[in-house]
Amino acid sequence: MSSLFYFLRESLTGFARHLSTALGSIITIFLSLLIIGIFLVGGRMVENIISSVESEVSITAYVADEASQEDIDSVMNWLSSQEGVATVGFTTKEQALENFQSTSSDIVDALDGSNPLPASIDVELSDPQLVEQVANELVANSDYQKICDTEGNPSEDVRYGEKSVERLFSLTNYVRYIGVALIVLLIFIAMVFINNTIRLAILARRKEIAIMRLVGASNGFIRGPFLMEGALHAIIGSLLAVGSLELLRNFALPQVQGALAFLPFDLSLGAFLYVYIILIVAGLLIGLIGSALAMRRYLKV
Amino acid sequence: MTNETDQATAAPQAPRPRRAAHGAHSRQAQMSAQLSQSLPVLEVDNIPQQTGTPVITFDHVTKVYPAQPNRPALADISLQIYAGEFIFLVGHSGSGKSTFIRMLIREIKPTQGHIYVAGEDLSAMRNWRVPYLRRNIGCVFQDFKLLPNKTVFENVAFALEVIGKSRHVIKTQVPEVLRLVGLQDKLNKMPDQLSGGEQQRVSIARAIVNRPPLLVCDEPTGNLDPQTSRGIMDLLERINRTGTTVLVATHDREMVDNMRRRVIALDRGQLTRDQDRGVYGFDV
Repeated sequence: MSSLFYFLRESLTGFARHLSTALGSIITIFLSLLIIGIFLVGGRMVENIISSVESEVSITAYVADEASQEDIDSVMNWLSSQEGVATVGFTTKEQALENFQSTSSDIVDALDGSNPLPASIDVELSDPQLVEQVANELVANSDYQKICDTEGNPSEDVRYGEKSVERLFSLTNYVRYIGVALIVLLIFIAMVFINNTIRLAILARRKEIAIMRLVGASNGFIRGPFLMEGALHAIIGSLLAVGSLELLRNFALPQVQGALAFLPFDLSLGAFLYVYIILIVAGLLIGLIGSALAMRRYLKV
Repeated sequence: MTNETDQATAAPQAPRPRRAAHGAHSRQAQMSAQLSQSLPVLEVDNIPQQTGTPVITFDHVTKVYPAQPNRPALADISLQIYAGEFIFLVGHSGSGKSTFIRMLIREIKPTQGHIYVAGEDLSAMRNWRVPYLRRNIGCVFQDFKLLPNKTVFENVAFALEVIGKSRHVIKTQVPEVLRLVGLQDKLNKMPDQLSGGEQQRVSIARAIVNRPPLLVCDEPTGNLDPQTSRGIMDLLERINRTGTTVLVATHDREMVDNMRRRVIALDRGQLTRDQDRGVYGFDV
């Protein structure tokens, strides 16, 4: 216990002695962890957005006004038996008009009672990746070809997210790769900085270390202050990063959400806490490993 | 334990060189024996009997540094040191004195042979146990190795602090050991406010504050004038009288000749002489 105090005191002296390099390593750790944190939080948000988009992935197939109920039923039955289809619903002309009215009532008023909107079959998918396949099969289905709104060209009448969904998937994959590469790079830089700071601390205390070795201080006792110093830098850096993320969450996030209201940006506090814990643990590991590497190279015991 | 007979016949009533020279060096040893005979015999009281098991044993120890593969720093050294002895290790620069001491505190390992300290083989000792070996060996060096930003008290206390002694032990033992070396009035001085002799006393105090059974000094008086050196040697002798084994590497001829203790002489890595109540014995 007393030696723990000793380590703390010694590491604080080392800290004070090399304030500029200590600040340097703290800031590097802080920035690295901040960027890592932003990537983690951002990744979670994108995942959230994707899943909300995914849950909205559905196929709308317009149906001609004069289609017989029998044909519609047979198409709907056929659809329900398809793989990846969760629910199949039907929207009548009147319901379509009502839905439309709820978003833009002015236009509906201007229609003077006439209803240009077609009825539609709505397909919800349980697996959004299958959307294209199901849509293509629907277009090829002979029953549907009979009842589609624009005669002879059923592909016109089958609507789904198409390419935008696909693009979103590949985009998130790219973002993930870039994020991982960036995080690895930043961790590397942070370790190099810690390594250098601890090297300076070791050089500054060369004489003391020689005497400690001479009078028989145990290896752990000689290493302790330096490990502590590395860990101290890392913890301060990671707390700064956590603090900045918390500020971003409280002040920047509502603004972004206000500007992009249709996308769900809000994450639960639990998700943030999870990221914070990851950051602090990662910072601690970076600090300890960085100083351990420095000691391996510069502190022969 | 080689040619005792020829030594004994040459100088029957002289202090008998017990473990003396090897082969070609016997002539030199003989000369030294005659020299010591011609010097006034000092009565050194109670030289401890070399009985029981030795504290330090060098068993055919050879050390070759990679930089000089053809010239061993120490070649086939075998000797024993018993508890309570006061030993001078003499020889010119480069004769292997420092190598001897560095091997003793296991800063380096012998290339061949074994060194036993308190029955433990240093070559086989695990790295993590080395600090515990060093706690039992006090070390004093020519350049004092004091920390300039700590006071006398803190310098001595540092040795106890870093081996995890409690504050209470530090508060009682440090003033006591500083009184023993005669610096009780200078506890709060910084090292650069002290003379060379006083700094060396601080360094000795630091070496013995943990009460090690063995005190090793590498040229403790190398930087000091003869009178101050005498004081340091008196101090070392006093420490020896409390039962501590003291090993002093030196090339201070006057000191060795005056004190007439056991002398181990090294010359270019060879053990040339090992003699009780010996003299420096090298022609300068």
